[in-house]
Amino acid sequence: MASEVVATGQVAGHHALPAQIDADVVARELVATTMGASRRFKAIAWTLGILSIAGIVALVLKWIDQSDDSTRWGYVAALVTFLLSVTGGAPMVAMAPVFAKANWVRPVTRIAAMFSFAGVVTVIMLIPLVALLPPLVTEGARRRTIWFEAPDYSPHFWSTLGLVLLLFTGLALFYSAAIPDFASMRDHSTGWRQRWGKKLARGWVGTNAQWRTLRMRIGMFGTFYFLILVFVNFLITTDFGQSLVPGWRDAIFPMYHTISSLQAGVAGVVVALWAARRYMHLEKYVHVDAFWSLGRLLFALTLLWVYFFYSSFIVFWWGRSATDIATLDLLIKGPMMYVFIAGMLLIWFVPWWILIWNKVRRSVNGMAIGAAVILVGVLLDRIRIFVPAWSVPSDQIHERWLTKIPGTVYPDLFDILIMAGGISLAVLIIMLMTRVIPVLSVWQVQEFNLLAKPIKYMRGHATLIAKPD
Amino acid sequence: MSTRSMLGLFQEPEPAADAMDGLKEAGFELGSFDVLTGVPYPEGAFGEHVPQHRLFRFPVFGAIIGFTLAIFLTAVTQLAYPVVTGGKPILSLFAMLIIMYEMTMLAAVISSVVGIIFESRLPNMKPGIYDPRITEGWIGVVVTFDDDSRIADAESVFNKAGALEIKHAS
Repeated sequence: MASEVVATGQVAGHHALPAQIDADVVARELVATTMGASRRFKAIAWTLGILSIAGIVALVLKWIDQSDDSTRWGYVAALVTFLLSVTGGAPMVAMAPVFAKANWVRPVTRIAAMFSFAGVVTVIMLIPLVALLPPLVTEGARRRTIWFEAPDYSPHFWSTLGLVLLLFTGLALFYSAAIPDFASMRDHSTGWRQRWGKKLARGWVGTNAQWRTLRMRIGMFGTFYFLILVFVNFLITTDFGQSLVPGWRDAIFPMYHTISSLQAGVAGVVVALWAARRYMHLEKYVHVDAFWSLGRLLFALTLLWVYFFYSSFIVFWWGRSATDIATLDLLIKGPMMYVFIAGMLLIWFVPWWILIWNKVRRSVNGMAIGAAVILVGVLLDRIRIFVPAWSVPSDQIHERWLTKIPGTVYPDLFDILIMAGGISLAVLIIMLMTRVIPVLSVWQVQEFNLLAKPIKYMRGHATLIAKPD
Repeated sequence: MSTRSMLGLFQEPEPAADAMDGLKEAGFELGSFDVLTGVPYPEGAFGEHVPQHRLFRFPVFGAIIGFTLAIFLTAVTQLAYPVVTGGKPILSLFAMLIIMYEMTMLAAVISSVVGIIFESRLPNMKPGIYDPRITEGWIGVVVTFDDDSRIADAESVFNKAGALEIKHAS
């Protein structure tokens, strides 16, 4: 077993561990967070529920009213890609630092994995887009896509399958790590939670073999999840973005989308962790150290955004061919220029200047503000990309490049309700999951306490962390 | 002769590790006793028997099967429809490699999922003797034996190690 000494407490107070909490207290207190709900929780849940229903009704009405005009569906496409970014990227926080043997991430993994459930909303919102996506052979000719000589409805089938596969892999990842906590629910909860805990714990008693296979399952589903996430980002961005715009060919764009998806995912986890810590009174379990570590990750991803954006942009800007100019006119200078500027400021510039300060990264509220700004920035970024892409009339699909840049498409009432409803439904699902299983993993919080010990190191204080795997 | 189980409950890990040592010294077979915990202690922390897992076999066999099927698929289809393209041989290895790689990986992935389900031994239909306090941080040492005369030996080991409670099941 290896170990490491993290930092001296005298210099960096955020590393200092709070008092160790007994395992029975951890189990009782975290299981208790699932029971009952405050009036504030209920009020928020009802509001989100009403907005969700309004959003789904608006989606149906929009389909009845506008299903003959694909150019009006850009905001739904932007919502799908935004939700894919946040709910798809967040579970990566539940595994990537674990693979790197980070101890700080243990209390964070559950809330990150819970985002997988919100992937259901992405699948629901994708349904009308799949129906509106033109087949590969349109008006007697094959349109330019990544699907050479494939059957006509390949993008429809494979993109949907990819998204559904991502959803199920995310759920498998969540469930793999949740089995010991379902056993805790079985042992310490009451009523339906106890009954479900018993069913879902599948006879978990905590033998050595069970713990070992648990680690294997997390590792395996984590690896699959990452592979599928990149693949789905590639499919959705090319099929529901690039392939709709004549002349837009960008090999970096799928990776740009994936990186900003990871950025949005980490930002989503930070905001969710902040809310859970504050409103569920989990201060003694969610330490500032977790925010500090997530802050460094978020800062790095924020810098990566500008790297990927610039790598993509410079090819078009320097190329100056008719297709390059048309693509830049559509996506950057054209109908969504102000949204692009606002998005760039909020996804990169503002968070960069917020997160660059150590003081902010060591604070809980500062990190939450930085992360919330990023989420708004990612939403604007998706709007500036996918609304113009979907606004290209279908009769131009065979052109070599866009000769006429479409005008700005403003959201109508349906779009506003759908976007508000979709985001509300995603948040509501995560909130409801906190009623089923503790928002912080009981066994991982216990493991965190087991492996980290505050020690006196020479003339200072430090945290000794065991690295058993 | 019926199989009996006994569970010794400990609040601290050190006495539980002593009990595991004691069971070994008392002649109980490796594999007949195990430790139950609510937290994943590092492997071997209690001196427990760590059996070799067989998970790695699943992707290996899966990959071999996938690779074999891929050779069969690509060879048979090309021989069944022998179209010469650009003067290349009918069985063109470079064209076949792509399918062979994809099918090998696919079969390895699917068999890994099957393997992890199999190795997990879940659902555990007979969880055996257990105590809910284990998910509160208590540590259980469970021993299984056929010979009733060993009850006293196991009890003695548990008591000597400082078990706070001993549970029996048959």
